[in-house]
Order: sequence, then structure tokens, then C-alpha cells
Amino acid sequence: MNGPIIPLHLLVMLPVLTGAAAYFLPRRAYQAVMFAGTLAVSVFALQLFISVRWGREVTQFVAGWPEIIAIQLVADTYSAPLVLLTALFFTGTYLFSTLAGYMDKTFMFLFLMLESALITIFLSGDLFNIYVVMELAMITIAILIMYKQEKQAVYDAMLYIMMNFIAMAFFMMGIAYVYRLTGVLDLRVISSRLAELQDPRAALVPYAMIMTAIAVKSALLPLFSWLPRAHGAPSAPGIISAVLSGVQVKAGVYLLIRLNQVFAPVVDTRLFFLVIGFLTAVAGFLLAIAQKDIKLILAYHTISQVGLIVMGLNLGSDEAFWGGMYHIINHALFKGLLFLSAGVIIEEYGTRSYAEIRGVLRRMPVIGIATLAGVLGITGAPFFNGSISKYFIQIGAQGSLGEFGLYLVNFGTILSFVKYFTILFGTPEIEPKPSRDPFIAVISLIFGAAILAGGIFGSQAVALVFGPSYSAAGALSVEKTGIFLATLALGIAVYRYGIQRIGNALSAVRTFKFSFNQITVLISLFFILLLGFSYTVT
Amino acid sequence: MIERILLLGMFLIGFWGIVSRKNLIKKIFGLNIINNSVVILFVLEGSRAGSSAPIMEQGISNIVDPVPQALMLTAIVIGVCISALALALAFRLYKATGTYNIQEIKRKVHNGF
Repeated sequence: MNGPIIPLHLLVMLPVLTGAAAYFLPRRAYQAVMFAGTLAVSVFALQLFISVRWGREVTQFVAGWPEIIAIQLVADTYSAPLVLLTALFFTGTYLFSTLAGYMDKTFMFLFLMLESALITIFLSGDLFNIYVVMELAMITIAILIMYKQEKQAVYDAMLYIMMNFIAMAFFMMGIAYVYRLTGVLDLRVISSRLAELQDPRAALVPYAMIMTAIAVKSALLPLFSWLPRAHGAPSAPGIISAVLSGVQVKAGVYLLIRLNQVFAPVVDTRLFFLVIGFLTAVAGFLLAIAQKDIKLILAYHTISQVGLIVMGLNLGSDEAFWGGMYHIINHALFKGLLFLSAGVIIEEYGTRSYAEIRGVLRRMPVIGIATLAGVLGITGAPFFNGSISKYFIQIGAQGSLGEFGLYLVNFGTILSFVKYFTILFGTPEIEPKPSRDPFIAVISLIFGAAILAGGIFGSQAVALVFGPSYSAAGALSVEKTGIFLATLALGIAVYRYGIQRIGNALSAVRTFKFSFNQITVLISLFFILLLGFSYTVT
Repeated sequence: MIERILLLGMFLIGFWGIVSRKNLIKKIFGLNIINNSVVILFVLEGSRAGSSAPIMEQGISNIVDPVPQALMLTAIVIGVCISALALALAFRLYKATGTYNIQEIKRKVHNGF
């Protein structure tokens, strides 16, 4: 198998260059050029993925500098699938929103810049380069969130910037100490030099600093307050929420994996992240149940699913690890679809309150079916992709306390989506009218089909994308289906007779958010906690 | 050692500014102070080996590692960009709500959800 057709740095630059070139064209032309650009990135990413998956990993030293000095770009088993996911996801969401009113030049340019930044995060093998592209992604996201300049969105973007800026200060401090210890920024060389350290404990402070920043980026338990603000920002276009929840949070999770591997010779904090992941998952669904805004339900739910992914990655078994990786892709598919369709629903109904939206299935059949597919995927219904990844994670947890935790998280997921489900049924107040936008229908159905295919061919999909092959036959067993149906029944019952009755008590939870000051203090506390934990296990 | 204590002090001043001030502009100042303390720390840590710079003179040995300084130039530029964006957002909020006080802004932008 040959290497990639284009060098990695061109793949990284392609979206932003296309955006810049298309900026000077008239409206019709620039949309076509930009679409061609995203499509080309997808094709190249696919080719890169194929050459990595069935060939060997690709390493490139930018500008021909020797190793150690050069900025390294690496496409390996972890990063190549995620680059492909990012490229396809951006192409899909772009097509979905082609006819939307807000898709003007600047917006599209920033959108493509975000694509470049995310692809760079996945490919980068250099600590400082990761810092730079994370800052780039942060600036882009802040502008995209407040693009309509509605004041709440501006406020959300402001807090998003400030929280992340503090986190990145920690990250940079961590880089400074890593550089002092090892004298390099290249992740692989750092890892091998850390293994040679005389006193491994010297690496714990920079480790805790870097991981604190990553924990903010991947929205772990006390530090997730920025996520619902950013992902659920009321006036943010659906496409942005979809991209943030689908791919951008995964960049944080990816760095969590990558950098934990880099520091693996020094410290093993899997237990810490397992517990934090579980708490994040629980807190996420509890907050999701309390929300009234459909976008906020989805946003808090992203937190819960990130917690589940982090649990899977840190359970310590191979099945659970690849289950977690597969869940990254699955979650991008169904949460992307849910956010995209939620954007359309909100525009159609003119409200974000779940109580006022009724009869989506009848008023907008395509969007209704898409939402249905997304909900079935996310709750882990048999035959849908969520069931496969959750099954793999569950295998890893068998017989431990974690298994009980996973049941609890599944129950919470179903419970919060019983609430979301109610928008699909009932009689719409207005008669249905034919959809004007063919792209929305096509893309929704493609995403929906991918969710279904990822479930039916679950174990093949994992083997195809990542390599290791595990049997997923158990995911369809009578026992699993029975558990799912029982949890569903319990969820509906609890929702009917429990949640709806205590509506007032929920409002306290609903408006609960850590303030900016609390977040600042919590970031420091998280740092101290992680540092303390690493000292006790090393 | 004294430089590190000073830098820690600088970091904490920035931290205090972020947490205790209600004025949005002052919070952004706090962020900048934190960022600058980290930049100086990075340069300090990077200059432990070697002390002189090979500028304008020939034959200097004991050259300081240039990488951290180059990195920090990048970091300073990024810091400026983010401050500019944050200040622009703060001004936008001021125009929308008539105040820089973060608690009042929070109250005024709250829209029922």
C-alpha cells in the first residue's frame, strides 16, 4: 500500500486555503468551491485512512527539519479514523445547511478554519503545536457561537473564552516544565525521555497541569460548565452545535488518550479518570433531565456521553477501550444528527421549549425520522450503533462496580430521552407543509442509515475502522434486548410518575450552573486533586 | 528562586483579579497577567542552560536555547488575539446592556432558560 497522495500538512491547510480563496468569489461560486474543498478533504482523508489502516502509519516532519526539532504530523490507528470522521462530518453538516440563511462568506470561512484546526489537533505530534491549534479552535468557536450577535450568545462566548484561556495557561505551564525536563516537544521523544527520568515524580506536576487543561477541553465533571453554554447557545446555528458536540469535544477526549499514553511510563491515572468519567456521566444526565430547552437537553447529554466514553477508555480492558473509541464515532453520528434536526425544528416551530413542540413526526416526517434514529442510537436500542459500543464497554466492566455504574448511566440516558421523545408525537398545531430543502432530507437519511448500519454491522465496523475484531453477537441477545426494554419501561414509568410531578424541584437543578468564579477555583482544585492522586499512585 | 516566587505572585495577582473583580475589563486584565506570568516562566525555564545570545557579536559560546523564546513569541501573539477578541465581546456586551459589571450583564442577558 502506498502512502497518502498529498502530504499531511497540505491536508491540514486545504480547508482554510479553500475558504480563503473562495472568499473573493460571488455567492453561487463560493458555495460550490467550498463544497468542493470539503469534499476533497474527505477524499484525501479517506485515502489517508486506507493507507494507514492497511499500510503503516504516516509520519511527517514539517519543512524537512530533522526529528526532535521539527513539528511532527502523525497519522496512526487513533488519529486517521478521527480525521476521516472530522472530514466526513464537516462535509455532511455543510451540505445539510447549504440553503440556510446564515451561511455567508465569513461564517463559512470560520467554519472551514475550525475544520483545519480540528484535523491538526488529531494529526499533531508536537506538544506546542497542539497548544497553538487548540487556541485557534477556541477563537474560531467563540466567534461562531456568537455569530448572530444575540446578547446571550455573546455572553456565552465571553465565558467560554475566559474559562478556556485559564485552562490553556495551565497547559502552557505544563509544556514549560515538560520542556525543562526533557528538552523536547515531540510527543514520542518526550515519552521515551520520560521513561529514562531518574525521578519519575518530577513529571507529575506538568502532567497534572496538562491534564487539567485537557479535562476542561473534554468537559469532565466539575469543569464542564462551558459546554452547555457553547453547545446549547440559543442563537448558535444548528450546524455549529452539531460540529461542537460531534467532533470538537472528541478532540479533548482524543488528547486525553494521547497524552495519557505519552505519560504512561511515569504515571497511571486510569482509576482517577474512570471515577471522574462515571461522575461526569451521572451529572450530565441529571442536568439533562431537568432542562426544558431541547438544545440544552442535547448539550448536557453530550457531557453524559463524554463521561461514558472516558469510562470505557479507562476501564483497562481492550474491548472497553475500543468500545469507547467506537462510541466516539457513534456519538458524533447520532448527536450530530440530533443537533442538526433540533436546529431545523427550532426554526420551524420558533421555540426551544420541549413542552411547546409537538408532533414533529407528522409536521416534518424526515426530521422526525432522523430524530427517531438519533434517539434510538443514543439510548442503545438493539440494532442501532449505540448498543454496540455500549455493549463493548459493558464487557470490559463485567463483574466490577463499573457494571452497575453503566446500568445507571444507561437508565439516565433513556430517562432523559423519554422526555426528548415527547416532541415527536402528538398533533401539530399547524398543518404540515412540504419541505423545501432536499439537502436536509438526504443528509438526515444518510446519517440515520449510518447509525443503523453501525449497529447491524457493529463488530465488522469496529474491525474495519480500528483493526481489533471482537464479537458483538451478545449485543443482540435476548438478555440484552430484555434489559433494554425493561430499562425503557422503567424510564417511562419514572418519567411519568416521578419527574413530571416534581417539576418545581427540578427548576433548581435546571438553573444550576457553576459561575465563572467557581469554575476558576474548580480548575485549581481539579489540578490539586489530580496531582495528589498521581503522587499517591506513583 | 526569587524569580519564581515573583512569578507565582504575579500569577496569583492575575488569579485574584479574575475571581474578585466584577468588572469584565478587569477580569480580562487578570487573564492577561496570568498569561504573561506563564510566558515569563517559560522563558525563564528555557534559559537555564546557556546565558548569552549570539547577536551582533562573533564567537559567543554558551548560547541560550532559542526554542522557548521562539515559542513564547507565538504564545504572546495568541494572547494578544484572544485579549482583542475578549475585549471586543466585552464592548459588545456593554453596548447591549449598558454595563461592564458581570453580574448585571448576567441578569440582563438571561432569557428564561
